[in-house]
Amino acid sequence: MAGLELRNISKSYGAVSVIEGINLEVTDGEFVALVGPSGCGKSTILRMIAGLEDITGGDISIGGEIVNDLTPKERNIAMVFQSYALYPHMNVYRNMAFNLELAGKPKAEIDRRVRAAATMLELEPLLDRKPSQLSGGQRQRVAMGRALVRDPSVFLFDEPLSNLDAKLRVQMRSEIKQLHKKVGVTSVYVTHDQVEAMTLADRVVVLNKGIIQQAGSPMELYRQPANTFVAGFIGSPAMNFFEATIVGGAARTAPGVSFEFRPASRLTEGQPVTVGVRPEHFQRTGQGPGLTGPVSIVEPTGGQTFVTVDLAGQPTVVTVSGDDLVEAETNLTLYTSPQQVYVFDRETGTRLSEN
Amino acid sequence: MTDTAPPIDAASAPTSGHSLGIRTRTYLYAALLIVAAVVLVPLVTTALGGFKTLGDLRGNAFGLPQTWMFSNYTDILVSQRYWLQMGNSLLIAGLTVFLVLTLAAMAAFVFAHVKFFGSQHLLNYFLIGLMFPAATAILPLFIRIRDLGLLDTYWGVVLPQAAFGLGMSILLFRNYFRGMPLELFDAAFVDGAGYFRFFWHITLPLSRPIIATVGIISFVGSWNSYILPLILLNSESKYPWPLGIMVYRGEFSTDWQLILAFITLTITPTIIVFFVAQKHIIAGLTAGAVK
Repeated sequence: MAGLELRNISKSYGAVSVIEGINLEVTDGEFVALVGPSGCGKSTILRMIAGLEDITGGDISIGGEIVNDLTPKERNIAMVFQSYALYPHMNVYRNMAFNLELAGKPKAEIDRRVRAAATMLELEPLLDRKPSQLSGGQRQRVAMGRALVRDPSVFLFDEPLSNLDAKLRVQMRSEIKQLHKKVGVTSVYVTHDQVEAMTLADRVVVLNKGIIQQAGSPMELYRQPANTFVAGFIGSPAMNFFEATIVGGAARTAPGVSFEFRPASRLTEGQPVTVGVRPEHFQRTGQGPGLTGPVSIVEPTGGQTFVTVDLAGQPTVVTVSGDDLVEAETNLTLYTSPQQVYVFDRETGTRLSEN
Repeated sequence: MTDTAPPIDAASAPTSGHSLGIRTRTYLYAALLIVAAVVLVPLVTTALGGFKTLGDLRGNAFGLPQTWMFSNYTDILVSQRYWLQMGNSLLIAGLTVFLVLTLAAMAAFVFAHVKFFGSQHLLNYFLIGLMFPAATAILPLFIRIRDLGLLDTYWGVVLPQAAFGLGMSILLFRNYFRGMPLELFDAAFVDGAGYFRFFWHITLPLSRPIIATVGIISFVGSWNSYILPLILLNSESKYPWPLGIMVYRGEFSTDWQLILAFITLTITPTIIVFFVAQKHIIAGLTAGAVK
C-alpha cells in the first residue's frame, strides 16, 4: 500500500487544455472519490494516474516515488473499468490469473492468490465460467477480483457501477465499501453520481472543467460548499438558487421576499448575490412571514415527497415528509432557518455566508 | 453478494425481424432464386458435365447425362498426377495463407493501435496494392523472381501471391481490430501486457471470425490462381491443379468432360471449407460496420 500525490498536474490536447494544475494528496489507505459532470476531466485524471494517458505537466507519485515515466505495470496499480473489460475468451479464473501469469509468478502462487480473492468476493463457484455466462454484478465482482489478486498499491475505479441497474448498484456499492474496509488499499474512485461518491468515499473531490472546485469530507461539501457549482452538484435534489440583492442585512429576491442568513463581514449593502437553499431545508412551520407560493408539481417517492413551488417567480423544489399531504394548485407557505441559507457572490459563485 | 447467475444455456437472444407482406416476400424470394441460379447453374452443369461423354456434352450441355460415366471421375482420382497437383496447390495455398495471416494481422494491429508519424501514408501505400492486379505487374515480377533465384520454386509463386493479398487483408484486419473495445487494451496494459502480448493473448483469440475470413479469401485466391504459376513454374511436377487442366487440352481436340470432372474434383475442397467457415466469414466481413 502507498499514498498517492498529484502535484500541479496538467493535460492538454494541442491547444486545448482539459486539466489545469491539479494538486491532490491521497493518504495511505484513504478512499477518495472524484466527482463531476461529464467532460470535467475526472476519467482523464484517473487514466493519468494509471499511466494510460501521458501527463503534459506536473508530477504523479505513488508511495513517494515519481511515476510519470513508468508503465502501468510498473506503477503497481489495479484498475476496474466501467465496462468491466473482462477478456471474453478467458474464464473467470484466467481473467483473474492473467496479470500474475504475465508477471511470471509460479503456478502455485497464482492459484493461491486467485482462490483467496475468489473466496473474498464469493466467486469460487464461477471460476470456470466465461464472462458471457455471468450477470452484470458478477462480472463487476470478477473485475474487482482481477484487480485484487495483484495486491496493488493503489486501486483505481472508473465509474464501475454505471452499467448496473439501480438495485444492483446499491448492492455493489456496499460491497466495494466492505472490500475497502477489508483490504484498506488506497483507492481513487471516479463517478458522476454524487450519491455514490458521498456514500463510498472518505473524501470527495468535486471537479469542473478540469479544475478542482472543492475537496473535503462528504458532509463538509454538503454543509460548506465553496461555490455555487459544488452547492448545486452535491445534494439531491439539487440546491435551489435565487438571484437577490443585499438589503438591510438580508438577501432580497423580490419586493417583500427576503432570506435571512448568517451575516458575513464581506457583504455590502446593494451587493448582487445568489441565494441557495436546499430542498430539505425548507420547513412548513417557522417564525416570521415565510414565503408563500402555489404548488405546481407533487412527486411522491415514498418516505419523501418532492414538491415544486413557485417562489419569488421561479420553480423551487422542496422536500417534505411522505406523510405530509400536499396537493397541486394549492398555496404552500415555507420557512427557512438563517443557518441553512447560503449566499454566494453572483459573479464568481464563491460562498459569502458563514454556514 | 447474493445475485444469482443466469442459467448458462439461457437462450436469451430475442428473435428480431420485420414481418413482410406476401408481395414483398414473393419478390424477395424471386430475387434470391435468380441470384442462386446464377451461382448454382454453372456449378451443377460442371459437376454433371463431368459424368457425360464428349458427344453427350456437346448435344446436351445442361441436361442429365444419358449414360453416367463415373469413370471420368475415378480415372482422375486414381491418377498420381491429380494428387501431385492437389498437393502442390495445397502447399502453395497453405504457405500463402500462413504468410498473409501472419503479416497482415501484425501490420493491421500496428495500424489499428499504434500512433506514429506517417502511419496513414504507410497504410495508403499498402492499400495501393489493391489497385493493381497481379497480371499488370507480371513482367517486372518475373524479372524480380528470376533475380532472386526463385523461378520454378513454390516460394516464387507464394511470395507474390501473399504480397498481392496483403492490401485487402490488412484493411479487413485493421477494421476488425479497431472495432474491439479499447478498454480491453487498457485492461491488458494495466495487467502488464505490452503490445505483443496483447496481440498474442487477447487480439488473436478474439479475432477468429476475421482470421477465418482472410484465410478463406487467401486460400481460394491461391487455389484458383492460374497466371502466376503459369509464368513462374516450369516443372510439371510443381504444377498446381489449374495448370493440370492443360493436360486434357490437345492440339486438335479437348476432353471437355474430363476437364469438367477435374474442375469439380478440385473446387469441391474449397466449397466444403467455405460451408464450414461460412458463419465466421460473414461475421468477419460485417465486423466493425456496427458496434
